[in-house]
Amino acid sequence: MSDALNKNEEELRIGVYICHCGSNIAGVIPPKEVVNFAAELPGVVRATDTLYACADSGQRLIKEDIKKYNLNRVVVSACSVRMHEPTFRAAVAEAGMNPFLMEMANIREQCTWAHGHDREGALAKAKDLTASAVSKVSFLQPLDMINVPVSKKAMVIGGGVAGISAALDLAEQNIPVVLVEKEPTIGGVMAQLNKTFPTMDCSI
Amino acid sequence: MVDAARQPLIEVKTYTEVEKVEGFVGNFKVTLREKAKYVRADRCNGCGDCAKVCPIEVPNYFEMNLAPRKAAYIPMSQSVPLIYNIDMDACIHCYKCVEACGPLEAIDFSMQDKIVEEEIGAIVVATGFSHFDPSPMEEYGYNRYPNVITAMEMERLNNSAGPTAGSLIRPSDGKKPQRLAFINCVGSRDKRFVESCSNFCCMYSIKNAVLAKQMNPSADISIYYIDIRTPSKGYEEFYDRARSMGIHFIQGRPAMITEDPESRNLFIHTEDIALGKVVEHEYDLVILNQAAIPQPDQNHMSSVLNVAQSPGGWYMEYHPKLRPMDSPTDGIFFAGACQGPKDIPASVAQGSAAAARASRILHSKSWQIEPTIANVWSDRCVSAQGKVCGICERSCPYGAIDYTQGKAAEVITAKCHGCGACVAECPHDAITQLHYTDAQILAQIRTLLANKPEEKILALRCHWCSYGGADLAGTSHFEYTANERGIKVMCSARMDADFIYEAYRLGAGAVLFSGCHPQDCHYITGQVIGAKRAKRLETIFERLNMTPGRFRVEWISAAEGDKYARVLNETQAALDAIPPADLHAEIERLRPDMAKRLTRLPNIPGVQRAMDHTEVMVNTILSREKAAP
Ligand SMILES: Cc1cc2nc3c(=O)[nH]c(=O)nc-3n(C[C@H](O)[C@H](O)[C@H](O)COP(=O)(O)OP(=O)(O)OC[C@H]3O[C@@H](n4cnc5c(N)ncnc54)[C@H](O)[C@@H]3O)c2cc1C
Ligand code: SF4
Ligand code: SF4
Ligand code: SF4
Repeated sequence: MSDALNKNEEELRIGVYICHCGSNIAGVIPPKEVVNFAAELPGVVRATDTLYACADSGQRLIKEDIKKYNLNRVVVSACSVRMHEPTFRAAVAEAGMNPFLMEMANIREQCTWAHGHDREGALAKAKDLTASAVSKVSFLQPLDMINVPVSKKAMVIGGGVAGISAALDLAEQNIPVVLVEKEPTIGGVMAQLNKTFPTMDCSI
Repeated sequence: MVDAARQPLIEVKTYTEVEKVEGFVGNFKVTLREKAKYVRADRCNGCGDCAKVCPIEVPNYFEMNLAPRKAAYIPMSQSVPLIYNIDMDACIHCYKCVEACGPLEAIDFSMQDKIVEEEIGAIVVATGFSHFDPSPMEEYGYNRYPNVITAMEMERLNNSAGPTAGSLIRPSDGKKPQRLAFINCVGSRDKRFVESCSNFCCMYSIKNAVLAKQMNPSADISIYYIDIRTPSKGYEEFYDRARSMGIHFIQGRPAMITEDPESRNLFIHTEDIALGKVVEHEYDLVILNQAAIPQPDQNHMSSVLNVAQSPGGWYMEYHPKLRPMDSPTDGIFFAGACQGPKDIPASVAQGSAAAARASRILHSKSWQIEPTIANVWSDRCVSAQGKVCGICERSCPYGAIDYTQGKAAEVITAKCHGCGACVAECPHDAITQLHYTDAQILAQIRTLLANKPEEKILALRCHWCSYGGADLAGTSHFEYTANERGIKVMCSARMDADFIYEAYRLGAGAVLFSGCHPQDCHYITGQVIGAKRAKRLETIFERLNMTPGRFRVEWISAAEGDKYARVLNETQAALDAIPPADLHAEIERLRPDMAKRLTRLPNIPGVQRAMDHTEVMVNTILSREKAAP
């Protein structure tokens, strides 16, 4: 295992995708300029912009490019990894690439949305973040997800109306549930209420 | 409620607390404390004979302390499960209950708390909310004036199962009130107490007014409000109905309630915004619709569960729009008011939604987790050469490292959560973290600082909190300096001192070291390890006479977008305050020292290669920069 980390023999063929995100990114910086910049970076064999990278058309573009340009690394400069890392990992995997060879640069939440007052600064930052992602992918290694077993039993903590509803739905799907309540009775606040809106029926 | 108790697959454990949650998605180990009830569940048939004979009375929380219960009790007659409890704090050990229980022998004073462990695949947290106590609001006289009550007290007084069997009376004299006023937003939308809106009080205040009006059509009923918020389906119609019934809606936040000490009637003093003047009205009973607040133990539970809290203290969801039921920890979900105040229809919907999210996991034979774990280069570990070390083992929050002197340390894959603590702590650079290797991160640092490094603020952020805080700053459009250049690692524990030395060696203007608050850490004590290292670094830079502000350590949660923006702007201001020539001189002065601390760097597998490659990267960036107009 340790040796594999040293090896990086194959030739880098990186594809870079700069997302407009409609006007969310393109309204602050010109994506084309980031494309032109990225195209020159070592290892990059394909750089282009896309209106919405996350849309079907954007994902299709990436998948087709992986085949057409024989890409072995992908950089998507778009939104936060918290938004779309799973999306793009899945997309590259569909095209036969290891999902861990895709890296995102966050040029929306952490760039155009935060630096609308400084377009020049935002452009310089978007270029740097893209280059940084290109640097990182250059040293990424293919990884496999780890499979862990699952105990088929749920725990619901809190026996109010939300917890009861969750517990019933789980149990009705044949999943054993432990419903934990700190008071001597379940029911929560709802059990204390008189009639309840919107139906005005009794609460228990 | 009874459905849950009847469902054979649901095991209801009441009077039980969660002590510890360990493990990870699919494989949680939850330690529960089943508190002693002193009544055996297998024998008690719920007859209540014990309560009848018990001589001790204490206030019943369930009745908002408006009515007593016995020391042998159930909170309400429809309790689920219908098993009595002995309140040992109140009990005087007269054993009348034991006698009354007789041959059933359900009462057992020798019972003790039981600690049980459960193996759980997924967890739904639905711990609900609590009620703001209006006593600190002197102006409303709650606790001083008997006829000022809270909405929860109203719910019990108005309830046929409640202490007055449903007849609404004034606490001072037991008379039926003829003039009633409800005050909305008590404690809510109030900078002194709870800034946010409590979501359901407008609706329940209208509900309670309608119910009072139905019971006594001649009653004079008013609702004092700032705004009426009825956005859900059918709610505006409900509000209309209340108005057509003759309930008065008076816009204005009452400034004060005074009391006539004789009649104990109340006077509400307020500005009536519609009339544009200050008015005073007399009432027999005033109901305070108090704010919804997080559970008193929510901070504690948040650490037990290892989940984060939003401003205000509610549990924080992974993503407010796209993953509203998920906690940031895989396999833990939220439902109901614990995530923020919400009414019953929304709580039920969330319960179902959380169940659906959890069942994706629970229906799977196996679940995939990220492989971003640690790995030891056995040939680099000094233990293999017979030296005493084990630093990695001591730093691991999960006990995931197997260290025996004389053998290379080993990471136990199934236990490693990938915080990176051991990687950064190992003094011999013998450990790496997959997907966050030194080579990868150093390549990023060099790239980000290729051009005009002295103007840049290199920001190391943890994945769960500070990266999220930076996202939130953007989502909220809090503007901050565009000179920030961010790098994400999983935990502040991974923020290697070498990264920071390298940044300064390259001439970075400033470095931000930012992770979660200790109680929010996703890796138990990862933040503590990161914080210790940050402290060490602060001392080193102080000793080297680095200008204060060039190295900044901040703990920023995913909910603190404003803080992220502020910290960066302050760092920028600190940088701007240094005359460029001085900054330049300081960078040059420190560079040799930084370089000296980094001499081992090229020996780390992959790093020399990364350095060579980024050399090309940096030159490309610089030549493009020169070519640009
Ligand atoms: C005065 C008033 C009137 C209302 N009227 C209406 C109405 O008419 N219609 C309507 O739709 N909504 C109404 N609501 C709102 C309603 O009460 C909530 O929507 C509902 O109770 C939320 O359900 P929940 O299950 O999320 O939380 P809760 O009802 O608070 O239940 C949480 C449960 O979890 C348990 N718990 C807490 N912490 C722990 C822990 N650490 N371990 C184990 N168990 C724990 C609690 O004991 C409780 O049983 C009203 C609220 C108030 C205050
Ligand atoms: S022993 Fe305690 S619980 Fe039983 S009747 Fe006496 S006071 Fe009540
Ligand atoms: S800290 Fe490093 S050198 Fe020390 S035992 Fe762990 S892996 Fe080996
Ligand atoms: S310290 Fe963190 S990265 Fe290292 S073995 Fe333990 S959990 Fe894994």
